[in-house]
Amino acid sequence: MSGWWPPSRWPAMLRHVAILAVAAAGVILLIAWSGIYNVAASKGHTKLVEWFLRFGMENSVRTRSFAQDEPQIFNADMIALGAAHYRDGCAYCHGAPGTTQPFIAQQMLPPPPLINTAARRWKDHELHWIVQHGLKYTGMPAWPSQKRADEVWAVVAFLKAVPTMSVTNYERLASGNPPPPSAPQAVALCGRCHGVGASGPSSALIPIIHAQPREVIVRAINDYRSGARESGIMQPIVMDLNERQIDNLASYYASLPPPGPGTRPSGDNGRALAREGAPADGIPPCLLCHGPDATASYPRLAGQNAAYIVNQLRLWQAQDFRHSAHAAIMTPIARRLSERQIHDVASYLSSLPPGASQ
Amino acid sequence: MTGVASVFDGNGTQAMQIATIGWVLLIGAAIIMLAVGGTLWLAMTGGERTRSLLGGERTVTLLGIVFPVIVLTALLHYSLLIMRNDAADEAVVEIAVTGEQYWWRVSYDENISSANELRIPVGQRTVLRLASSDVIHSFWAPSLAGKIDLIPGRTTRMTLMPERPGIFRGACAEFCGTGHAFMAFNVIVMSTADYRTWRTHELGPATPPSTTLAQQGAELFQRAGCGGCHAIRGTGAAGSIGPDLTHFGSRTTIGAGTLTMSEANIASFITNTDRHKPGNAMPPFRIFSADEMQALSAYLFGLK
Repeated sequence: MSGWWPPSRWPAMLRHVAILAVAAAGVILLIAWSGIYNVAASKGHTKLVEWFLRFGMENSVRTRSFAQDEPQIFNADMIALGAAHYRDGCAYCHGAPGTTQPFIAQQMLPPPPLINTAARRWKDHELHWIVQHGLKYTGMPAWPSQKRADEVWAVVAFLKAVPTMSVTNYERLASGNPPPPSAPQAVALCGRCHGVGASGPSSALIPIIHAQPREVIVRAINDYRSGARESGIMQPIVMDLNERQIDNLASYYASLPPPGPGTRPSGDNGRALAREGAPADGIPPCLLCHGPDATASYPRLAGQNAAYIVNQLRLWQAQDFRHSAHAAIMTPIARRLSERQIHDVASYLSSLPPGASQ
Repeated sequence: MTGVASVFDGNGTQAMQIATIGWVLLIGAAIIMLAVGGTLWLAMTGGERTRSLLGGERTVTLLGIVFPVIVLTALLHYSLLIMRNDAADEAVVEIAVTGEQYWWRVSYDENISSANELRIPVGQRTVLRLASSDVIHSFWAPSLAGKIDLIPGRTTRMTLMPERPGIFRGACAEFCGTGHAFMAFNVIVMSTADYRTWRTHELGPATPPSTTLAQQGAELFQRAGCGGCHAIRGTGAAGSIGPDLTHFGSRTTIGAGTLTMSEANIASFITNTDRHKPGNAMPPFRIFSADEMQALSAYLFGLK
């Protein structure tokens, strides 16, 4: 060998291996460059490639999801929220109770697993990891916001409930009540989860937007659109709205009377915090900004769902959403609250009749 | 050697005494240093007689034990005497100062508080009662007096006896957290007559807004929930978490010495409080339109 590489002082064996490796890399490059390899989904993988890809994927999910948070205790509110999002975001590929898998989705490679198969195959934390991060080379998208693990848990809660869920139950959770004909068209998008007319949200994790000031609704939508407020559930829905639709649906919800009282937990422990704050802890009274006399860009909290309030406060504690101007105000305040204070004050606020004054 | 926060530029009896003690120590130490150097030189170059005299037990006892005992005892008496003078006299003015992360709550009266600025009469004895609501802070206005810690759970005392009117700067002198460097204050020394007039005004309620713009600002202040943390006496705002703003516009600085007082700076501080003063407990309010911000700062600036 007279060439400069591999160096002639390497042992013969090592030189042969190096030459083989370079040649193999060249062949692979040549195959890719020539276009001989068939990327057609119609053709499928060979058994060996299929096995290899699946082997790699399954092990990656198991290893990567190992450090996930503690599994959650699922409740009906999470299942309802998960179901409503599933219908819009996932059913198109994975099918839904009572429907067959859409025909076009069946032609994907790999074909998306049917909902029941997927739910049974993976453990809770593995499902959470897959839904949050998506899977490369499969068409499974990542959750639009990596800061909303709470929303992903709602989807997992739904997936775990699916195998025993009746079709009627799924339809009720996922589709909600149809909006009255008088409501603006875009309300159909919101009403599935937030409720329409006299009915409230389908889950206590979803805020009641009936009778909120118009400004609050418009601002929330615009914050989701700009990405200042993050949500894998809300952002995909509001992206397609135009100015006029936003205006119409904000006016519609602002004009609705608050939904009926339902079963509100009563909690007097949070009364002092909501009305007087806790000055020693640097916590101002909630109702000063969230009562009926506050500026119109602040949401009213009397009668709001307790689970929603708890979730929001925890989100501000755990994540940085401070590029939203309103979250920048609430973040430091939420971080001064103890877990106990959060629960007490949320129960108290939700027990107030909507529109209650100081 | 001069300046609003210079130890050498004494404007209060205590600061002058500290400067004098400092000079006495410095000059005394210099003289002793020279004497030691001289003795050392003698010990190395002197004749047999000088060297045996220096090495004798008598000399070591006299210069090594008796002399330091006398000097140190004298200095102790000297400084105790000054401290006794300080503690003995009756206070003409008493002010409670509470250190909080990262500002100063100043109370001239039981229930009436102000913040981040002290106004005191010239030539009169003012006693500060200092406390802390969170961590250890330290109160130091170098050209007026020494520094003293504000300790949670205790009340410390400090006397100020300013000899000249003027504006003197002070700061927190004990690292207390992220915003420590922005925890300053001004001490404004006024003539007794001016002080009396000012104090009467300070203890009174806020001046109602006079212009339409300021009225809009007052309304916004109320609706945006500012009163949850700040009090403005004479209005509904009664929050006690942050500084009392009753006479905010009459103060020389915003945010405990962070910015100088002006309408533009008020607006900037409210919008970017997190950037002007990192670690500050006040959330930034980036929710106001330019018009709203103008109205709000006009109102606050007008609170003279």
